[in-house]
Amino acid sequence: MMPKLRVIPFAVLATAVFMYSTGFAAVQEGSVNTPERTAEHASANSSSLLRAGDTLFQQNCAFCHGRDAQGGETGPDLTQSKLVANDVDGSTIGNVVRNGRPAKGMPRFNFSDQELERLVAFIHAQVAGAENGLRRGVDVADLQTGNAEAGKRYFYGAGKCATCHSPTGDLAGIASRYQGLELERRMLYPEDAKSKVTVTLPSGEKIAGTLAYLDGFTLGMRDASGTYRSWTLPGVKYSVTSPVDAHVKQFPKYTDADIHDLMAYLQTLRQ
Amino acid sequence: MKCLMKLFLLALAVAICGLELSPQGMAQGVNAAMLLHPPANSWPSYHGDYSGRRHSHLTQITPQNVKDLGLAWVFQTDQTASIKSTPLLVDGILYFTVPDNLWAVDARSGHELWHYHYPPNIGDHIGQRGVAMYRNWLYFMGPDAHMVSLNAKDGTVRWNKAVADVTKGYWTTMAPLVVGNHVIVGVGGDMDNLPMFIQAFDPETGALQWKWDVDSAPGIHKPVTGGTTWMPGTYDPELNLLFWGTGNPTPVLNGGARPGDNLYTCSIVALNPDTGKLVWAFQVSPHDTHDWDAVETPVLVDGTFQGKSRKMLMQTSRNGYFFVLDRTNGKNLLTVPYGPVNWSIGVDQQGHPIPNPKKDPAPDGRLIAPDEGGLTNWRSPSFDPKTGLFIVNAHPSYSLYFAKPTDGAYGWAGADYDLWGNATLEAIDYRTGKFHWTRELGKGTSAAGVLTTDSGLTFTGDTFGNILALDTSNGKTLWHAGLGWGMGSSPITYELDGRQYVVTGAGGVLFSWVLPKGSADVDSESGK
Repeated sequence: MMPKLRVIPFAVLATAVFMYSTGFAAVQEGSVNTPERTAEHASANSSSLLRAGDTLFQQNCAFCHGRDAQGGETGPDLTQSKLVANDVDGSTIGNVVRNGRPAKGMPRFNFSDQELERLVAFIHAQVAGAENGLRRGVDVADLQTGNAEAGKRYFYGAGKCATCHSPTGDLAGIASRYQGLELERRMLYPEDAKSKVTVTLPSGEKIAGTLAYLDGFTLGMRDASGTYRSWTLPGVKYSVTSPVDAHVKQFPKYTDADIHDLMAYLQTLRQ
Repeated sequence: MKCLMKLFLLALAVAICGLELSPQGMAQGVNAAMLLHPPANSWPSYHGDYSGRRHSHLTQITPQNVKDLGLAWVFQTDQTASIKSTPLLVDGILYFTVPDNLWAVDARSGHELWHYHYPPNIGDHIGQRGVAMYRNWLYFMGPDAHMVSLNAKDGTVRWNKAVADVTKGYWTTMAPLVVGNHVIVGVGGDMDNLPMFIQAFDPETGALQWKWDVDSAPGIHKPVTGGTTWMPGTYDPELNLLFWGTGNPTPVLNGGARPGDNLYTCSIVALNPDTGKLVWAFQVSPHDTHDWDAVETPVLVDGTFQGKSRKMLMQTSRNGYFFVLDRTNGKNLLTVPYGPVNWSIGVDQQGHPIPNPKKDPAPDGRLIAPDEGGLTNWRSPSFDPKTGLFIVNAHPSYSLYFAKPTDGAYGWAGADYDLWGNATLEAIDYRTGKFHWTRELGKGTSAAGVLTTDSGLTFTGDTFGNILALDTSNGKTLWHAGLGWGMGSSPITYELDGRQYVVTGAGGVLFSWVLPKGSADVDSESGK
């Protein structure tokens, strides 16, 4: 029987966890996995698996993802994550934990298979618990405070969205592809937008492509055939166009009402 | 008889040599004189010295020769945890950490002398910023709010004391600060609604000497919780004042549950280090609802401000404002944003930003600049006295903040999501807050601190994993090297055997940089 985990005072939860973990304090330092623990868990019931996963989660994940995996300092609410929903015994979670997401600020963790099993069990238990209420994420229903007509006026007016976007072109059906918080975040800043770059070689030849890397010392791009090419700087002239910059320029101009109205309008674009 | 006398004199000579007399003499650890005036061949505390300026007087490495800077050695920790600690360098040995681990490494060869493993524990393993040292004893924080005193010679444990109760939700990540005969430590933990404090312990026994409660403002009927104290402060020996930053109130995003300014959270406080009594306090974010701790380095600078000579304290704070205070009395001299800020309706007469209630977290979300990570965070800024520039690794950014009644009034009590941010190095003229120059460091956040030197160099790291040496006067890149991971700590520099080293951590690797032997500047200075 899966325990219904709710947001409970940490003191209660941690005391249980603490009592569990101090039993192993005498075991060799620095290592969570020892022969003694392995043997113990060969016959572990699910609740001790969850307690072990809870310990690992509190030590390493809770700071960003919250004690109950429902989100904390910048870390997403795992109970609303598609990746977590699709996970079976760590099939998708494992990679993210072991590789991290450096671009998004998530470190990597060198957990053993057993540690990962415990962590995955804990995360899935939180998903089950969240479905029973006391959810702390952001629901689609939370984001419905805007006016679609006002949003449409903003789209074609002060927002200048129509400069680059079209409700019947690139944005057709956008609300079928994304909903709720994910739609609103992409609306405000589409993270996977790419920049274009044109490189002029010393010979005068121009090569156009998608910008892949630029740190002031090396420029990398994928050309029209998808081949990666790079140059040491300075060595070539280049010019970059980043249409996504318009989103950044818009940040200081929005009122919160504009954002909610725009969201209401985009949600009408279902086909 | 003569033979005995000679033996006696020999024994006496040996005994005298064993005494801790001169900082330049035999290995003797860290004493008060060294902490007050760190010799060139040392980095004896987290900030390097009590001012927090992270500015070195060493000039062997210059804007002209830094292009030849190369690797002396690397030390691989073989761990996935990123090094966030500032290493100490004392008597030719480096001491640095990651959570649960402390290494002593020979600074000449890069080889490990000993490695201490802290036992498994339930504390938050979010980071470990280094150790403090006094005489030949090290002071190391376990994640679970325990302080361990170890023998620097071999890493054996002298004692292990709890500074707070981890089962309540406290954790510790900081390098303690030694002032006089006090080892001063703060605590972390804002996932629960907990009272917060700074404590001082006896360096020999670990006995508690004093405790200052953050949530203790007089006349407040219902004290708030929160105000973590998780970064080491700075110290003015002439005024005998300890300066420390405090973190955000709890519940974090639900301000409605705790009306009022919530003193002394998000404040810079001045305490008497011998008694722990509050001398003055300046609140950087009254009634914060965005998790913007004010624990960033309170940098001490003596200089002129509007024509008058002043003892100042400066902080680029997480909430997006640059503060200049008179450190003798906490009076505000300047409050100005150092990047995009959209959550306030201005600054009051006393220099406090006034929060805009419309930018409190809301059920349908509020667009907030900066993001929760802040316009800067715990990474060290640097003050260069020659140029008067306050150099900070800033993070212009935007985010969405949510809070609704069902999120409750405990712990985080809401949700926040980053939208966009950049990393930008800013050189600020402290007298006006204007930028003298800026230098882009890439997309996202760079976790690298900043170090400046008297020869006019600025060291930091970008988001691509490069270490950078820049010209302090204009921000131009003079040298770089790819480290394979973003720099996650604040750089240090010291002189050893007549050569200047710069040491930085990136990922799980510690890098030691030096000019090559045979380089004219090195040979002439070391007299070879």
